[in-house]
Amino acid sequence: MSVVLIFLAGAVFIAAALAIRKRLQARKTGAKILAWILFALLYLAAAVGFSFCYINMSVGHVKATSTAVFLFGGVAVVLAVVLARVLGFIGGAGKPAVSAEKEG
Amino acid sequence: MIKSKSGISRRNFLKTGAAAAAAGVAGVWATGRKTLTAADSAASAMELDYQNPGRGQWSKLRPKPNYGGASVRYVEHNDEWLGTTQIVGGIKQTREIDSGFSLAIRGLLGEKARWGFLSQSKRYPLTAGFSLGIGVVSEDHVVSGEPAPQKLPIPDPEQMSKHIKDTCYYLRADEVGIGRMPEYAYYSHKHNPPQGAFPAGHADPDAPLVEYPVERSEYLPYVITFAVEQHLETYLASTGYDGISVSQSFRSYHATANIAVILAQYIRSLGYRARASHFGNYQAAMPPALIASGMGEMTRTGDCVAHPRIGFRSKVAAVTTDLPLAPDKPIDFGMLDFCRVCMKCAENCPAQSISFERDPIVYNGYMRWDSDMAKCTAFRAGNDEGVNCGRCLKVCPWNSKEDSWFHEAGIWLGSKGEAASTLLKSIDDIFGYGTEEIQRYKWWLEWPELYKVYAPGQSTPL
Repeated sequence: MSVVLIFLAGAVFIAAALAIRKRLQARKTGAKILAWILFALLYLAAAVGFSFCYINMSVGHVKATSTAVFLFGGVAVVLAVVLARVLGFIGGAGKPAVSAEKEG
Repeated sequence: MIKSKSGISRRNFLKTGAAAAAAGVAGVWATGRKTLTAADSAASAMELDYQNPGRGQWSKLRPKPNYGGASVRYVEHNDEWLGTTQIVGGIKQTREIDSGFSLAIRGLLGEKARWGFLSQSKRYPLTAGFSLGIGVVSEDHVVSGEPAPQKLPIPDPEQMSKHIKDTCYYLRADEVGIGRMPEYAYYSHKHNPPQGAFPAGHADPDAPLVEYPVERSEYLPYVITFAVEQHLETYLASTGYDGISVSQSFRSYHATANIAVILAQYIRSLGYRARASHFGNYQAAMPPALIASGMGEMTRTGDCVAHPRIGFRSKVAAVTTDLPLAPDKPIDFGMLDFCRVCMKCAENCPAQSISFERDPIVYNGYMRWDSDMAKCTAFRAGNDEGVNCGRCLKVCPWNSKEDSWFHEAGIWLGSKGEAASTLLKSIDDIFGYGTEEIQRYKWWLEWPELYKVYAPGQSTPL
């Protein structure tokens, strides 16, 4: 089970990194750095949270599992929303520069 | 080139000197490792076939000590410090008859504690089996004896220590340490019948405890201590003071007692003196022996020594010996700082016997927390909601955890001073560790009516 989960974590990481890289191609350096930092934090929170919840659930620590779902899940959702905004999925501020140039 | 009067150049003189020094060091290195083999086996024509473990290795079966993520440093064992326990005056040796369960046997903690202790094996049927086994290995002739007249060849003390650790792991110990035996750890007087004979039913409940002195000739310079963990999943499901609690203790008492008597007999068979000390027949108090052998630090409970990996969720026993060994050093992993701020054991103690004071006090010439051992023993022996009690070790953040990366991280955090310990304790509380009861592991049977304590011939419980 752990091997499958580690494989899935790696696959998700690579897929997400490739998607973000494509999305960031024409962006300024500052935005790129911010996006990669947010991605790293999001991935870390999700991976640590998932591992923490999985182990606690398998042992039977109910309170630890439920608390961790809210704690790590909350952090991950906030980071995901901010990252989506930076990448331009939410709102207009973060639209890719390439489309702005074409519009201009 | 300038030549000395003897006709040798300065450079050649220095070269010769360096070569001689190197040869000397190499010679000492080679012979030092075999010194004991040659000296102590002079009487024996036998050869020793033993492949030494690598240098710096803890033992062959466990190449590195397992401290479970804690940040550990080695500390001193001298007249002022036993590990992290400060010695502020002369420590008086204690008498076994004044130890908790002996007080209970004598009726000095009340009738309920007395009959509770004496009937604990009967009050939880699984414990009767453990008691039977412990009773057999508690007799004086089992824990001690004369060494074989001829010494067998053994490796040097460092290698022999590794071998002894491997022997303990082989005998199913979970943790092992070797120390210089502090003389004050020996009881000044022991009693007969031994303590373990009472719960086993080998001694008449009214048999007087006859004291006899532990002679100085019985003081041996080294102590080997070992711990066997109490079952984690069972404690995760238990309140800590229900029926199974007594079996949790006796399971590990039984295991450590067996290791102790086998190891002591093994050492005697090698031609050296050895005496087993276990729950059924202690010759010494265990906490100082444990600290001296690098097995942990004193905790807020006042008489439990916590190991960095398993806390004090274990039972321990020891073998004192004159077998030449290389003792380990006491360890410091920040337990004192942790206990100073945590107090979870005190908050959860059903007997309210554990101190809430922030700092240790002077007790019998050393510093420890002012926990009430008599109150603790009276509750454990007389508990009629279950049998015995281990609530403190169930709730201790250091004890109640399965192996995982985040618990290792937590233990590392907890060993980093008071601020980090406060954080760890808060996290432990937020996640509900220690105080939960995980029903899926509740495998044992409970008979609440059996737990009542009766005096002989009485139909009303005490």
